Amino acid sequence: MLGKERVMKIFNHEKPDRMPCFCVNGTPTYEQMEKVGAFWPEGHERAQDMAKLAIAAYTVLGFDAVRAPFCQTFEAEALGCKVKLGGKENIPGIDHPTLYKLDDKPVLPDDFLKRGRIPQLIEAIRIMKREVGDKVAVIGGIIGPFTIAGAMLDAVPILKASFKTPDKLRPFLDVAEKAGTMLGQALVDAGADMIVVEDMQASPDLIAPHTYRDLELEYQKKQVEALSVPVILHICGNVDKIISFMHETGCAGISLEPKSDTKLARKIVGANVVLIGGVDAATTLFMKGPDDVKDASREQIEMGLDVLAPGCAIAPGTPTANLLAMVEVAKEFTYL
Amino acid sequence: MKYLTDYSNIFTRYDLNIEVARQAARKVSKDELLQKVADSVVQGDDEEAAKLTKQALATKSPMDVINQGLIPGMNEVSRLWDEGVYFLPQVILASDAMNAGIALCEEAMGKAMDKKGKVVTHTAEGDIHDIGQVIVNALLNANGFEVINLGADVPVDKVVEACRVNNPVMVTGTALMTTTMTAFPKIASQLKRLGLNIPFVCGGGAVSEEYVTSFELGIWGKEANQAPGMAEDALSGDNWQAMRGKWNG
Repeated sequence: MLGKERVMKIFNHEKPDRMPCFCVNGTPTYEQMEKVGAFWPEGHERAQDMAKLAIAAYTVLGFDAVRAPFCQTFEAEALGCKVKLGGKENIPGIDHPTLYKLDDKPVLPDDFLKRGRIPQLIEAIRIMKREVGDKVAVIGGIIGPFTIAGAMLDAVPILKASFKTPDKLRPFLDVAEKAGTMLGQALVDAGADMIVVEDMQASPDLIAPHTYRDLELEYQKKQVEALSVPVILHICGNVDKIISFMHETGCAGISLEPKSDTKLARKIVGANVVLIGGVDAATTLFMKGPDDVKDASREQIEMGLDVLAPGCAIAPGTPTANLLAMVEVAKEFTYL
Repeated sequence: MKYLTDYSNIFTRYDLNIEVARQAARKVSKDELLQKVADSVVQGDDEEAAKLTKQALATKSPMDVINQGLIPGMNEVSRLWDEGVYFLPQVILASDAMNAGIALCEEAMGKAMDKKGKVVTHTAEGDIHDIGQVIVNALLNANGFEVINLGADVPVDKVVEACRVNNPVMVTGTALMTTTMTAFPKIASQLKRLGLNIPFVCGGGAVSEEYVTSFELGIWGKEANQAPGMAEDALSGDNWQAMRGKWNG
């Protein structure tokens, strides 16, 4: 069975031949870069290199899906935030000075999709679709409203405002949601089979669960409804306290770090949401060896996962052997 | 014999309760006004904290307002955080409220209050992913440490210089990437050369215990919320070897 078919069956709640294995977050590693001859920072800014690096997740690792981009800065940059690319080894991040103050009125530029590196990302998805789209699922990544708003306002001001003046955040969340949705739909039009929304700053590690429920949920719901393909929601950290609200967004899949309680998640979301997760990207996949990766994978699968995956973006220094070990475990879990 | 009069908590799914109900501060002061000062800190209301501090200063000494109002209030916030009742924004707002009050008390004293100790914090050179450091700063502030916040993407020399000038009890470094954490052993060796044996807590993203414990002074920080406990140990005089023995391995 082809990877693409395997992924689509899982999302259509049918049984594939075995458990799918892929990563909903960034996949490149230095070893993959050497193998396919595409590197950073070009992989963050040029369509050809980006597509090559994304496709390595299939050709080098044997994942059932490929995904771009590999950082969280595309929307923010197109909205006007300053981005630091990070050179050969690091992922881009949002730099100072911060774009807006809380009392400013944020603007969604008319030519949003033509700004920054967005045209390159859209083209990369087109290339990925053309080259491997019949074999594996193509995933486009966008950033959740709270996280984009965080980039526009900086972390401490948005955290304070979430308690003191939550209504002042609404214009920012509104622009952020529209920006993400617009990019997501453009990626779908370019060939993405699914969209992943990464919303790191909506984690209970940073904001209170009621802030997620009362503020962020409404924008995420709108985003999930607006996108015409299955949406996977990824929030970092332990999300036990917001998992029921994540479910309320209507997303087709939820991606969990192993810090969260997978069994609890399964109990709350029932059988109709695809649960993705498994191996801690830093403390296991990056720092341990293949045997530990296998043990951790099996343990998490038993707790009720549908898709075996790293819990977050793959650290670029992760050994290929560990990633292959994860795929091996997925192959053990057959449905036949 | 006791009878059950409230059935509301029977068969309640505690795992689904999103937050424990908003909690008022426990009674921390016998004095009504100082209790209000403490409450304003617990509520994270900096304007109210300033207003009440001013009122209290009319009849009480600045040190009493600090030690019987502002700091007990902040201790309550730490407790609520530890119990999972409070979240990061509340801790940041409460620190702001406490500091607004402390600033007025210092003005009244005509000198700065003696903080517990200084901690220099930074995010590694080349790394602008500083959310981990934001959490560390908030928790250290909340626990009464003076944070020398160097921000993100800080060159090695600047960290070393800040340590030389401020003589902190502890220094922290966060890095998302394995490639930027290579700055940490450089900082450690320069501190050693200057004779500054300051415990150097490193953590974040892909920073591993094995790596951090491979160089002198290094202590691996697994979670941001370990920072206050580590700083307390450093303040009490534990050297880096003792701290590593306690927190790592």
